[in-house]
Order: sequence, then C-alpha cells, then structure tokens
Amino acid sequence: MSPTTESIVETKVETITLTINGQQVEARKGATVLEAARGAGIYIPALCYDPDLKPYGACRLCVVEVEGMRGLPTSCTTPATDGMVVHTETPRVNQGRRVTMELIFANHHADCFTCAKNQQCELLKIAQYIGMEQEHLDRLRKSAQVLPIDRSNPAFEYDPNKCILCAKCVRACHEIASVGAIGLAFRGYEAKVTTSGDRPIIESICKSCGECVARCPTGALMPKWEKAPTREVKTTCPYCGVGCSLYLGVRDNKIVSVRGDSEGPTNKGSLCVKGRWGYDFVSHPERLTTPLIRIEGTSRGAPHNGQHHDIFREASWDEALDLVSERLLETKQKFGPDSLAALSSAKCTNEDNYVMQKFTRAVLGTNNVDHCARLCHASTVVGAIAAFGQGAMSNSYEDFEKTDLFFVIGSNTTDCHPIIGSIIKRRVKSGGAKLIVADPRSIELGDYAAVRLQHRPGTDVALINGLMHVIVRDGLEDREFIKGRTEGFEEMRQLIEKYTPEAVEEITGVPAPDLEAAAHVFAEAGSACVLYGMGITQHTTGTDNVKSVANLLMLTGNIGREGTGFSPLRGQNNVQGACDLGALPNVYPGYQRVDDPTVKAKFEAAWGCTLSDKPGITVTEVADAIYQGRIKGLYVMGENPLMSEPNLVHARSALEKVEFLVVQDIFLSETAWLADVVLPAAAFAEKDGTFTNTERRVQRVRQAVVPPGEARSDWQIVSDLADRMGRPFGYEDASQITDEMASLTPIYGGIHFERLEEGGLQWPCPDDSHPGTPFLHQGSFARGLGKFHALEYVPPAESVSETYPFILTTGRVLEHWHTGTMSRRSKVLSELRPDGVVEMHPGDALKLGLVEDDVVALSSARGRLETKVHITDKLAPGVVFMPFHWREAPANILTSSALDPQAKIPEFKVSAVNAVLAVLDKAAQDNEFLARLAENPAEALKGYDLTAAEKAALVSGDIRKIESWVGKLDERLRTWLVMRLSQEKW
Amino acid sequence: MDFTQIQSNAVSKWDAMLSSDKPRILVGMGTCGIAAGAEEIVAALDQKLAECDVQADIIQVGCIGLCYAEPLIEVVKPGKPGLFYASLTPELVGEIVEEYLVADNPRPDLALGTRGEGTVDGIPRLFDLPVLKPQVRISLRNCGNIDPNNIDHYIANGGYAGLAKALKMKPQEVIDEVKDSGLRGRGGAGFSTGTKWQFCHDASGDAKYIICNADEGDPGAFMDRALLEGDPHAVLEGMLIGAYAIGASEGYIYIRAEYPLAIQKLLVAIRQMEEYGLLGDDIMGSGFNFHLKVKEGAGAFVCGEETALMASIEGSRGMPRARPPFPAQSGLWGKPTNINNVETWSNVSAILQNSAAWYAAYGTEKSKGTKNFSLAGKVIRTGLIEVPMGTTLREIVYDIGGGIPGDKRLKAVQTGGPSGGFIPASMIDLPVDYDSLAQTGSIMGSGGMVVVDEDTCMVDMTRFFLAFTQSESCGKCIPCRWGTKQMLDILEDITNGKGRTGDIELLQELAESVKDNSLCGLGQTAPNPVLTTIRYFRDEYEEHIKRHHCRAAVCKGLVKAPCSHTCPAGVDVPRYIRYISAGDFDAALAVIRERIPFPSICGHVCPHPCEAKCRRGLVDEAIAIRALKRFAAERGNGLWKEKAKVAPATGKSVAVVGAGPAGLTAAYYLAKQGHAATVFEALPDPGGWMRYGIPEYRLPREVLAKEIDEIRDVGVDIRTGTRVESLDELFESGYSAVFVGVGAHQGTRLGIEGEDGPGVVDGVSFLSDANMGKPPAVGDTVAVIGGGNVAIDAARTALRLGARQVTIVYRRTRSEMPASEEEIEEALHEGIAVDFLAAPTRIESGNGAVELTCVRMELGNVDASGRRRPAPVEGSEFSMAVDTVIAAIGQMPEVPEQFGLASGRANTLQVDRYTLATNREGVFAGGDVVSGPATVIEAIAAGRQAAISIDQYLGGSGAIDETLTPPEELEALPEIDEGETHRVSVPTLGVGDRLKSFAEVELSLGEEMAVCEARRCLRCDLEEE
Repeated sequence: MSPTTESIVETKVETITLTINGQQVEARKGATVLEAARGAGIYIPALCYDPDLKPYGACRLCVVEVEGMRGLPTSCTTPATDGMVVHTETPRVNQGRRVTMELIFANHHADCFTCAKNQQCELLKIAQYIGMEQEHLDRLRKSAQVLPIDRSNPAFEYDPNKCILCAKCVRACHEIASVGAIGLAFRGYEAKVTTSGDRPIIESICKSCGECVARCPTGALMPKWEKAPTREVKTTCPYCGVGCSLYLGVRDNKIVSVRGDSEGPTNKGSLCVKGRWGYDFVSHPERLTTPLIRIEGTSRGAPHNGQHHDIFREASWDEALDLVSERLLETKQKFGPDSLAALSSAKCTNEDNYVMQKFTRAVLGTNNVDHCARLCHASTVVGAIAAFGQGAMSNSYEDFEKTDLFFVIGSNTTDCHPIIGSIIKRRVKSGGAKLIVADPRSIELGDYAAVRLQHRPGTDVALINGLMHVIVRDGLEDREFIKGRTEGFEEMRQLIEKYTPEAVEEITGVPAPDLEAAAHVFAEAGSACVLYGMGITQHTTGTDNVKSVANLLMLTGNIGREGTGFSPLRGQNNVQGACDLGALPNVYPGYQRVDDPTVKAKFEAAWGCTLSDKPGITVTEVADAIYQGRIKGLYVMGENPLMSEPNLVHARSALEKVEFLVVQDIFLSETAWLADVVLPAAAFAEKDGTFTNTERRVQRVRQAVVPPGEARSDWQIVSDLADRMGRPFGYEDASQITDEMASLTPIYGGIHFERLEEGGLQWPCPDDSHPGTPFLHQGSFARGLGKFHALEYVPPAESVSETYPFILTTGRVLEHWHTGTMSRRSKVLSELRPDGVVEMHPGDALKLGLVEDDVVALSSARGRLETKVHITDKLAPGVVFMPFHWREAPANILTSSALDPQAKIPEFKVSAVNAVLAVLDKAAQDNEFLARLAENPAEALKGYDLTAAEKAALVSGDIRKIESWVGKLDERLRTWLVMRLSQEKW
Repeated sequence: MDFTQIQSNAVSKWDAMLSSDKPRILVGMGTCGIAAGAEEIVAALDQKLAECDVQADIIQVGCIGLCYAEPLIEVVKPGKPGLFYASLTPELVGEIVEEYLVADNPRPDLALGTRGEGTVDGIPRLFDLPVLKPQVRISLRNCGNIDPNNIDHYIANGGYAGLAKALKMKPQEVIDEVKDSGLRGRGGAGFSTGTKWQFCHDASGDAKYIICNADEGDPGAFMDRALLEGDPHAVLEGMLIGAYAIGASEGYIYIRAEYPLAIQKLLVAIRQMEEYGLLGDDIMGSGFNFHLKVKEGAGAFVCGEETALMASIEGSRGMPRARPPFPAQSGLWGKPTNINNVETWSNVSAILQNSAAWYAAYGTEKSKGTKNFSLAGKVIRTGLIEVPMGTTLREIVYDIGGGIPGDKRLKAVQTGGPSGGFIPASMIDLPVDYDSLAQTGSIMGSGGMVVVDEDTCMVDMTRFFLAFTQSESCGKCIPCRWGTKQMLDILEDITNGKGRTGDIELLQELAESVKDNSLCGLGQTAPNPVLTTIRYFRDEYEEHIKRHHCRAAVCKGLVKAPCSHTCPAGVDVPRYIRYISAGDFDAALAVIRERIPFPSICGHVCPHPCEAKCRRGLVDEAIAIRALKRFAAERGNGLWKEKAKVAPATGKSVAVVGAGPAGLTAAYYLAKQGHAATVFEALPDPGGWMRYGIPEYRLPREVLAKEIDEIRDVGVDIRTGTRVESLDELFESGYSAVFVGVGAHQGTRLGIEGEDGPGVVDGVSFLSDANMGKPPAVGDTVAVIGGGNVAIDAARTALRLGARQVTIVYRRTRSEMPASEEEIEEALHEGIAVDFLAAPTRIESGNGAVELTCVRMELGNVDASGRRRPAPVEGSEFSMAVDTVIAAIGQMPEVPEQFGLASGRANTLQVDRYTLATNREGVFAGGDVVSGPATVIEAIAAGRQAAISIDQYLGGSGAIDETLTPPEELEALPEIDEGETHRVSVPTLGVGDRLKSFAEVELSLGEEMAVCEARRCLRCDLEEE
C-alpha cells in the first residue's frame, strides 16, 4: 500500500489593521468588525451573532460608531477595513443598547429564578454588562401578549414568551441543519418563530435535531430533560458512522446534558436527534450489572420476555470467566480451534476490536472472527479493493464542501447519516452544488435533486451502466484520466454499449430522458462524488454494484482530487475501525492478509504465538456452520445477530443449537437471551479508546461515567479471559492497546492517544509525524492503475411471485439505530418514534383494502410478522419498506439470506413478501374462502360456484350473510370486506 | 421593422387620429375613474352615441390627476379644443352628447376647462385652472393623453426615442447624462440616481439586474399606480435605459398584487414591446439584450425596502438585511442590482427623450425636476399632482388643493407616508424639496401628502401611523419590532387617558433610539410622526396627559361625547339633553349645575363650541345645545339645591379679585369646599363683562342677578365698589390665597391718526357706559371698526341707542370674521351694514362730525392662523362721514403693577397652564386677564380650575365635582329621532320690536320644541365600542 498524502498547503492569511477604542487591532481580511474586536479581546455584546451562522444584524446590540460612517452600524455585519476607526462604547452606542435591552425586557415574560437557562442565559449576561436599571424597566409598557408554550416535542419545549427573535434557531435550522422546519411568521410585535401553518413543532417537518435548542441564547428553547452538569467530557458519538464529536455533561455519575463540539472537525458542533437526545440508555435500569449464567436445564428457546431471573442466575466475574475459559478450552481441545468463532463489534472501540481479534487468533487459535460489517459494507471492501486497491471512503467531509455534484445512490442519507445529509442539503440549497439522487424510495434528498431517479430495487448495475453508456456515447468521459490511470476500459466500454437508455428503462423503470439528464449532469460537473449506503451493498450483486460506482467515478475522472470521491457511508459508529483493526476473518489489523506468510510471521513475533494462516468464516456463514456442526462454540461481543441477521428464524435455530454461547453486551439482547454466559460490558460513555468514522478519522472515546454494577470494558473482559486461558495480554489501560495497534498496523502507525486531542487523525497515518490523509488515490491508486470491471446486470436473487407479490426493502429510520438496543431505550427517541411500520404505496394499499395504521401481516418464504402500515407515495408500487429496529416486528424474519458470492453480504434489500390485513390473515388460517380472498379477491370469488343470492350478498357487502358462511368476523374485517368487495368489478 | 419605421408609422397613426373628422372622447379609466363610475360613463356614452347616431372614437386613458373630479371625460370635436367635463353621471353624459355633439352647445355650465388650440366662451383653459396652473407634467406627461394599451400612442409622443438615443451612446455617457440631470431617487431617500447607477455599473459581475420598485405601500399614496396605469411605457423605457447603462440584461418589476389594473397594463405593454422588438435580444439592432419579469408582491409594506424586496423576489420572507453589501454589489441572487422606483424610471425616459439640461431647469438647486404627490386628506381637490421641486406647501394645499373643506383650519401637512412627519400650518411656505422637508423632520417619501385640519388630533393621528408601521414591521430587528410597539402602547395610553408624566420624554427617547438603531428604512423612519408631532404639537400631548383633553375631540378613550369634551367646563351635555328628552327638566338643570354655576347665563350667551363638534351635525344639523341649556335653566327647579352640599368650614379664607364669571365661579366652588371666599369688585355691581360688556338684549339683567344671588347663597361675600390696590394687604389681612380675575377691560387702540378725537370711542367703554345706564349719544350714523363679538354688540347697541345707520368696517371677509355666526346674522337682519375688506387709516373729527378714511384691502396668502392675510390696495382710500366711530378691535387686561404678577403678551398674566398659579405664592389667576378676551364659559372653566388649585393649595382634595342627580335610568329613554330632521329654530323678537328697547331678542323654547330637539341627540356618550 502506498498511501498518498495531501501536502498541507500553507495559505497565507491576509490581515488588515484597524483601530478599536484607540487600540491597534489586527484582523483577518474579510472579518467583520465584531470578529476583529472579539479577536482582540474587546467585548461587544450581541445576541443574534453566531460564528457559525451568516451575519444577521437583528438584535442591534453590537452597534458601534465607525468614523466616517453614518448612523450606528452593526459590527456583526460590517466588514472591517484597513485603517477603520471604531468606537464600541460611546454614549450614543450605550444609549441605543440600553433602550434595546429595555425593549427586550418589556417583552420578555420570564422569571430568571425559575428559568432553566438561568446563568447560561446570554440575555442575562448582557443585561448585567449593560447595567439595566429597574426604573427604566418600570417606565415601559409591559407587553400583555402571553403566548402558549409548545411542549409537543418530547425532547424540548418552546416558550415564545422568552424568545427575543434573534432567529438563531431559525437560521441554524436552515443554514446548519438544512431542515427549515421553523421560520419567522407574522409581522410587527406578533412576529414569532413558528412552523409552517403555525402548527405545534411535532407536526412540522422538524427532525428534532435540537440545533435550534443548542443555539438559543435564552430559555425560549430548552431541553426537557437536561440538567446543569458538574463537568463535561469530550467524546465521540456512539451512533452512526459520521463520528460526531461532543461533550457529555455529567452530574452524579449520570449523563445529564449533551452538546456538540463546535471545534469537532466532523460535525462542527452539530448533532442529530440521536446524537443529541439518545444517551439515557447508558443509565437505563435494564443495563447488565453482573455476569449471568444460564440456570441449568433452561431451554434456549424460551421466549424473550425481559424477565431473565427464571433463566439466568447472577454470578461473580471469577465464576463466569472460569466457566467461559473452561468451556472454550474444552471445545478447542475437543474439536480444534476452528470449531470456535467470535463476533466482534462495530459498536465497540478500536481497542476492544483489536483485543477481540487478537484473542480469537492468538488465544483461540482461529481466524473465525468477523462482525457485522459483513452485513453492511463487506461488498464495499471487496469491490473497492478490486477497483482501487483500497476499501475505504476515498475522501473527507471537507471534500463535500468543495464538490460540484453529489450523486447519492442507495443511501437515505438524511435519516442514516443526518449530519452528512445536512451538509448535502446546505450545499445544494446555497447553490454551491448540484445533486442527483437514485433510490427505489422517494427519499427526502430527492426533493433537492436536479435529477431524481427511482429505480427498481437491485437494478443498480444496469442503472450505472446506462449512465456510463450515455456518457461514453456523448463523449463526456475523461479520456486523459482513463488513459493515464486505469485499465480495463475497453472491455467495459463494449459491454455497456447495449445498456441504452431504453434498455435500462426496461430494467430499472427509470425513464430514459431522466437517465440521459442524470448522465449529463454527472459528467459535466467539475468535480463529483458518489455517496452510497446499504442500497448499493446489501445485494447479491453488492460487489458488482460497488465496482459499478468505481467505474463511473473513474470514467469521469472523479477520484483522487479535491471535491471528488468514492464515499461509502459506513452505518455503525465504528464499523470502519472494527474492519481496520482486523475483526475480519481474512485479514489482520490494517488489512494485512492472514495468508501472507510475512504478515503472519510479524504477528506471531509480536504476539508470541503461532497463528493460523487459514482465513476464517464470515458472520453470515456461522449459522450454516453451526447447523453443519463445524462451529461448536460462539463468543459474541456487542453484536445482536438475532435482530441483524437475515432469515432470523434460521439464525435463531442455529444459535439454539450451538453448544456454547457467550454474549458480552450492555443489555440482555435478543441474542444474549440465548447465551450460556452473559458478560456485562461497559457502554461507550464508560470507557476509553478510539472510534474510526466513515471518513477514516480516528477519534477519542473518553470515559465520562463509571460503569453500572460490575460491568467492565470489553477489552478488559477479553484480556482477563486471555489471562485465564494462559496467554496474558498485560494491558493496563486502553492507550497501551492503541500503541500496540500502531506498532502492528501501518495505516494506524502514527495514531496514539496524545495525538488525537486535536480532533483526530485520518488514516493512512503511517508515523508519528504524519498529519493524516484527507483523501486517497491522488496521483495513483493503491493497486497502481484503477481497474474497470465489465459488469452485466444480474437480477436479484428473489423476484416477486403470485404468493409473494411485493418486494420488501429494509433500512433505518432517523430516530433509531441498528437493532434498537440503545435507541429504543432512549426516552426521547422512543417517544418520537414508538412503533415500527411497513411503508406501502397508496395504490397497493388500496388494492389490499388497507388504511393507515392497519395492522398488516407480512410473510415471506422464511417467516411472518405483523406490523402497522404507513401509506406513503415515497415508494413505488409493488415495493414495501420496513426498518429493522423493532424486535416486536423484526424485519429480518422476512429477509433473504442469499449472499453476494464474493463478499458474503446478504441481500437485505430485496425479499419477496406478501402483505395482508392481519385480521384477515388470521381469519384466513382456518377459512378457505377468506384465505383465497386474502390472496386474490377477484380470483377467489370467481373460483367459487356462487349462487345468485350468494353473489348478491357479496356484491352488496351483506356481512350478515357472509358471516353465516365464514363465521363471526372481527370488526375491522367487516369494514374491510365491505370496502374491498365494493371495489371489485363483478 | 427598424425603430425609425415603427416611429413614423406610430406618428402617422397618431396624426390620423388627431385630424380625423370624427369627434373623439377620452375617458379617464384609471382606478380612480373606474371607482367613481367611469365604466358606467363609457356604457352611457356608447348607448347615447348609438341613440343619436353620432360616430365618435372613445379612447380610454389613464388618470389626469383630477381625482376629485372623476368621472372625467374630454370631448374633442374636429378643429376645436378639447372640453373637459367632470363629476359626470350617465345622465349628464347623455346631455353632453345631445347638446354638444349633436347640437353645438358646449355647456359651459358643465365644462371644467379646455385643452388644445382655440378657446370657448365661458370655459377657462384647463391648464389655467388653479389646480393645474402650478403643475409641470414630466413624469405624468402622457397620463390622460394617450391610450396606455397602445404602444403607438406612446411612441408617437416621443416614446422610446430616449432609448434609441441611449443605445447610440456609451453606457457611461448615459450615466453621465442622468447624473447631469440631477435626478434623485423618487422612492423617497433622494439618492442621486446617476451615482447609484455608477456603483452598479462599476460593480463586477457576470449578471446584473434592474428592478422597478412598484411596491407602493403608503396608506393614501397612489402616484405609482396612476402612472403605471396611465403610461406604463414611460417606466419601461426608463428601465431599459437603466439596464443598458449598468449592463443588466434581466429585470423585474416588483408590483403589489393589489394593483391589478396596473399589472394588466404592464403585461400588455411588455407584450407590445416584444412585438416591436423593444424587449428581448438585440434590441434596436444594438446587441443589447433585456428580459423583463413582473413579480407580484403580497402587499407587505416592508417589501418597499430594497433588500426586503429582493428577498421577496427570491421567494423568501420579505425581510431586509444589513448593508453592506449594497445591492449595487450584491443584490438579487447575489448579483449587482439597481433598484429605482416607478417615478424615477419615468423621469429617466423623459431625460433621455429631452436632455439633462432641460430637466435640470426645473426644480431647485439641489432637488431638480418635478415630484408627484398624491394629495389627500382634508383638502378640497384631492388627486395626483406633479409639481416642480421647490413648490411651496401653500401652493399645493391652497392653489392646487383648493384649501380645506368646511372652512376648517389647516393644522398640518403630513408628507412621506407613515414614516414621514407632520409639518405644521405655520410652515406653510416651506418649499417642497428633499432638503427642506428633511429639515422639518419629515421626509419626501415616495409622495404621499395628507392634509390635516383642526378636527384631527395629532396624538391620535400619530397613533394611527404607528399602528400601521408597527403592524408592517417585519419583526426582524428589536428596535423596530418592539420599539414601535412600545411607542404605540404609550400613544394608546395617552389617547385613552392613561398617559403618564414623562411619557413625552420617553416617546422622544424611544423614537430617537428606534431611528438610530433600526435595521432598515422602515424602522429608521417609523418614529418620524412621533418626533414631528412632539416637536410641533407638544401642547396636544400635554393636554392629553395632564388634562385628559383632546382638543379635536376624537380620542375615544378620552372623549365620551365630543360636545361635552369640547365644553371648556365639561358640562355633561348628552346627559342633560337626555333628561330634557325625558321631560325631567329638574334633573337636566342639575346636570348642568354639576359643572357650572351659571346655567342660565350660558344658556343665553355661550358661543357653544360644543355645537361645532356635535356628531348630529355630520348627519344633518347640530343640536341646538345652548338653547336647550337655556330651556333647562328656565324650566328646572331646585333639585340641584337639594343635593348640593357645602363642606364644613375649613377656617381658611380666600380673596377673589374681580366679580366676573371667573372670579364668581372660583369663589362659589371655594365656598362650597368650606373656605371663606370674599370677592372684591371695583365696579358698583358684580358680573364683570357679563354685566358691563354683554348688552341686555342678549342677557337680561334679572337672569344675571338671579345666578349671582345663588353664588351669595353658598356664603360668598361679594364686596362691590372695592378696588384692591395691593395683594400684600390681602395676605396681611388674613387671606391664605388670592385669585385674580380682573378681566380684560382696556380697549385696544387702533393706532391711527385721530383715534383720540371727539366722536371716537372704544368699544369697551361704549358698551360699559351703555350697560351702566349712561347711554352715550351716538348720532345718526355710526361706524364700528372690528369683526369680533364686541364690534357686533357695539353696532347693535348703537342701533338701539337711536343710530339710523350703523356700518361695521372689517378688513377681511365674512368667512374670516371671528364674531359668532348667529350674532353676525342677527346684526345683518337688524339692518347693520358691513363694509368688508376695508381698514381705517385716519380719523378726522371736528364740528360734531367725524370723517373716517379707510383703505380697501385684498386677501393675500394664508397666515399661520390659516386665514388669508389682508393687504392694503394702493390708492384705494375712501372716506365716510359719520357721527360716531366705535373702535372695537380688541381688549387687554389692566393689572395694577403693584400686584407683582408677571405678565406677557398683550398685558395678560402669566400662569401655569394647568394650575393657574402665578409667579406669586398663593396667587392664582384666570379668565380674560390670562387668556385675553374670551368667553364666559372659558372664564367659568378657569374659575373651576382656580378653585381646584386653591383648594389643593389649602390642603383640600380639589374635588369640586358634584353629583346632583340620581343614577340615570337608561332603560326607559325615549327613542332617538333618527329621521332627517332640522335643528330647532329658536324664536326671536321681531326686528321692529327689538330696536325700540333692549328687550331680549332671543326667546325661550317651548316645551315641545325642546323635547323634540333633545330627541335628536345621538347620545354619543352611550355609544359602545
């Protein structure tokens, strides 16, 4: 690997000199007077100023006098110029400020003592600075207007009576969050911050990200649950792969507040709904606090009812670890090391993962270690390595600020990577960039797109081939790049010839003109990057899909320079790190192959043991391996396969069969419920370490609170076990692990705790002086030349049938994350989104006789579940969507376990299912007529030899009559029948 | 087709129309015309022309500016000047068609004026009419002349020649031309248009924009609407010229959606321009491209502010942003943008069609050209006007506007819309230009001009404007959002009687701060009405706050009923009228007695300012309040006495100097408060001017005596024939306080030669002699000089003393005469002559004869009092021989110097306006000695105030008001007579009987008459919100 590093360009900042209050002040050219003053330590009060927002000039407190300028300019909007002479505290200025403050207080209905903002209140601070006097307040007329408080959002409340209309919230919502849920409405003193149509916030398009709350200088927007912390600890968010930096406020060993780290290079202070409100799971009463051992004789198949005392008994660490050590050694002895397997975790730190894979390899003696990257981006790693020689995101968030075009395919970015979604929306809305969106669902980003393509699930290869066909046909390819930096173009060119827009329309359903438009917009952009997610990867053709993305980028020369790039968006907080640190069956940390003898020798020397050169099995192969008796013992750290695996019925029966199952987690997950031994682990806020985000940035995780009960860090538990199993690792703290990682992992070579204080480092970072790498593939690819792959469209493994007429595609919703172990234990997140639903096109719902919120039975060849329906035109007819966070209705009961042959990733995105009103489905189970009616109403009726009277009864929806044949019907079913029968053409 | 060809085609079509042998009829079809019924006029025309089989062309034109005279048509018969007919009805149109088009009678009685070559007997030239004479029409050059829907009409009248000229010039040359013209932005700020263009021209940018600001939002402003409706191309041509000069190829017209007719005219005009290749690519083959969009605004006032306007075009909420960056650098969509308003653009096209020098010849040094105003409010001729900069307000209000309707007095002129200011009547000679207006604290604004008369309360008017600006504030910046609200709250409090001491200063402070600190022009100018009204009408604010008094009687929170509010003594007029209507005359009198001790006297002589404000007067005629008061006093019995109370003695004593109405009133109330009150009167009898000034035929002496006796009844000691020489003595003799109410009994001197000669008397001495029973001999012929009530009284008295011919010499005309209307009427009725517009210059007397020489006067400009000022006509002297000359031009007080009281103008004493305290501790003064000659009711009011102040000075509460009636039962009231009625006509003595004696002229109302009259009262005090 030869990582390219961008040289840090020393941009000389031009400065100007001005005089403020008689003092010579130097400032950056382009700075405002306020910035110049504050930079020089001269305080100017301001309420509507925020360095992250565009100058607004509304509160009028920052007015100054500038010699030669008329009136009182606002320093926050006035550019500082060379030689300017500014006075910030003249009688005229002070008089204006005082009157302005008096006016605010005359309209401010608040009692500072009872206001939760209290000492944090900017208004109060400025009042003190200015020196407000009671006599001045008394002479003014106090506003009689008292407005109702909006408490509709579970996370925060809005008291307009404390609002000063600085519009920071509105501007943050527009400029930073790019949501635009709130705005100013009405005129004069009735002007207020509100939502479209002046509805309660919860009924608006608000995403509850709390950016507004964080910016509010007064107590107008306040979190409902926050308390003032006694200290704050900077750490990294444990939700998605964006890797936001934040401060946890702690009081009495509890997280009581959260704020975004405005210096954080990833998020610059922003947080999403999960990142801001979703941390109460840490102190949730259901946290595991002691090791648990299965009571002898209890069945693995016991239903998960939350009452674990009948199944597990509490044990001491010694007893539990002894038992685990014993059973593992015993199995290893009896069946060989490869009879054991471990699942590491994308939720755990790099250090935890490093220790886990080291434990698996050095202690258990097998490469059978994997984690759920297999379920999300395995195809990225395989595909991108094939094309570029490197499997990670090639660019940085910084590049998103420079790109001319975003092509988002198979990623519902605003829900799954909200902060990146905001960046895209902000860039597009400001006119700085264009956007193409391709997704089988009509996702939010599509509203901002120049071209929006809604292709059928699993037709990505055809779609991209079609785009490339048009680009080549119209001569828009980057010939120089193709010639200089790639191979395999000609073969691919020939293959895509037949992917004409018309042919592609046939396959994908995307109208040919849209495809042409998209191809032109893409190819004509100065710089473009492709962002994708599970929509690309979770297919039997996942690897091909990824290679297609690579093809498109190379064809147009959109890789290896600023603003361009290959941007797979990693789903979990540390899935990048878990991969990087070798929680994969075929590679050691740093993607060093286990079958490479030099590598093996290096690790053997370092770890002082003999290692296996045989690549291990993947997560998705574990279930079959258990069935086949190849795997006898399984150690699961922080994973929940019984929610995240496809074909859950199958996975469950495998885990019920395995001889010994250890689960180490923070809650008694669906998987842990089946374990022989459950080990209580520390949550992210309770340990030290590092996470690596999707842009390859390694960032610190810091302990904020003490773990509950006897819970311990994952790496400590595993190290203890290694001790007991005769191979002591000897770590005293997490940083020692990081240092060891650095010594053995070239791409992490320069990564140590002390270097991460300033916002983290992007790998490759080979040595202690290396500044990290913002983007890859400059000048050359890791594999030398980039490789074009000629890829034919292959349909998904499953297609619709008469029995299963719908394509189910799965994914996430904004408020929840992964298998819901954390987010569903957050009060705010679960109140915002209490239930799972299946989304369905209105036309389909009409055909099925479904109305909003009906409980629907969904079934596939693999299983059945019930959930509520949400009818939305965001889906194409024939496609249904379900998030997989709810154990009450786990979508993966239905999903197909068909795998991508290369990456072994399952095709979560395409499963054939049927959907029926649940009460009908139940009734149909023992009534043939209803069963056939449920399947196909028209046919069902024709299939019966009906008398005229019976027919008349059906036509007229005579329920009594029908009930006389089929028995008593549920109320909903009665109305359904009447409605459904009336639709039928008899 | 190139432009020369288009031009010559247009000219030949226009000429063909002018030389057609068919008559043509131009109908004003602006919004003003349509609102007045122009559509019915067109329909009537069509019908009548068909009926009479007359072939005529009807051309629909825009507003010519005479909005007051709509519907308006111009009828042009071949070879004759056009005749304007105004205020038409379909019937009148029929007459005109029949009589002028069919026959040849131009109907001078209906015609307003002529236009074009030739004259018509009996009809003035339109542009010689006072309304048009001072006007110069540059921006409005085509309005009312051409069909705005016909681009050829515009082109034939020089249209697009300016553009053609500009396109042959370099952009910089065009900018220089506009700079040289001196044109300043007509949107209000008055920034140099050429300089503004230069900024935008010099700004770098690949795309630039031109915007026409047609978001005319001032209440009462309609200049831009009328211009766009009447001549859209003048504006569009200006925009093209501007676009070429700055290098823009795209433009917007931002116009409020409430202007549908203007929008329609613009869209038609744009389509016609496109057809002629005057819009689009390669205009006139010059390579210059320009595209134009019309953007309709939703009517937010703030969108007239350019940054807010641009935000609105961009689809955001119309809110202004801070500058820099200026629109010239970063405007619409972040590109350099130039915004000018409608009127500016139409001036631009005129400048290029003519020349910079031509344009700069109009106006003043710093404000060139003309300015459009929409003249509205209390002015006779409302409408759209265009005058050269520097025209005075006087010319606009009086010449063009025709003055104030209903002979009311001008109070102020408001310019600049809701963010402008009020210019007081005293500044009527102010030239209207940017800088002069700014000096007054007002602004030019976009051209709203509202005339305000005496019936307008300045505080209330200010409140109205603040309510507007407040509700139109976008809410972005704190000073504007909450500062205007705070000012509005305070103004509302003041107009509701909840004003606090210090509010005026607070308002000023807030206003200055809002002006200084607001983000955009809206907030920066919104305080102007507050600041200018405080500057010029501070008295009105103080009256509201300190006395809860609204002199215009309009502030609802203060004014229960305008009549009683206007009464200086605050008599509860509607209540006693209600009692009369219900037949309870005792109670009626008691109500009057609650506020004044002289009901009957007032019933005889009060000049009843209440009646001028009577709301019934707006329906038909004001209630005869004074007559009803007299009726109540005559019929009412002693109910009031039963309820009236005298407080226990306080042991304090007060001296009252002068037994006139002020002194007696003060003494009366002081006595009732328990103080020992002694009145000192130098003359033999009490009553002051009531006895020695007002003639008996107006106020019978028994009436006077009775009410003075009732003063004595509460314990007041009246010592007549006792002259007070020193206040010190009074204090030394134990009086704790003194009230000085010695009146104004010294006649004002004429200041002409011979006024001290024999046969010449002053009005005061004359009347007092007559009233003291020492009637002077007046001879046969008498000349009375003056126009006030004293002059009338003297004249009528002279008549009764045997004069055969009495002539009043007055220097102005009847409408300026200060005497009360009914007195003048009666005098004329009795055969007294009035020689108006004459002023004495010399008196020569000898041999028992007097020769009075006078000079003729003519009325010149209006002075600060709102009346036209008389000036002598040279060489117009004339003489009259009389036996007696009575000089009654005014009176002054005479206060002994040793009283040690500070005096001011015309010998009046200086007192605190509200407490009547003089400069001496414990000494108060009121009545004519303070105010100069005034009325009985004002003297009573002063006496009441003095009693309150003195009681408080002596440690009392000052609560002198009484309740002398039981609570009113409102359920059983007789119904209001709502039909159209006439005011009761008060019976009078026949003229023959009058001159024989001093018998009372006016007689009592009969009971039925009184009750009927009382039922006409609208009971404003019971009105509910």
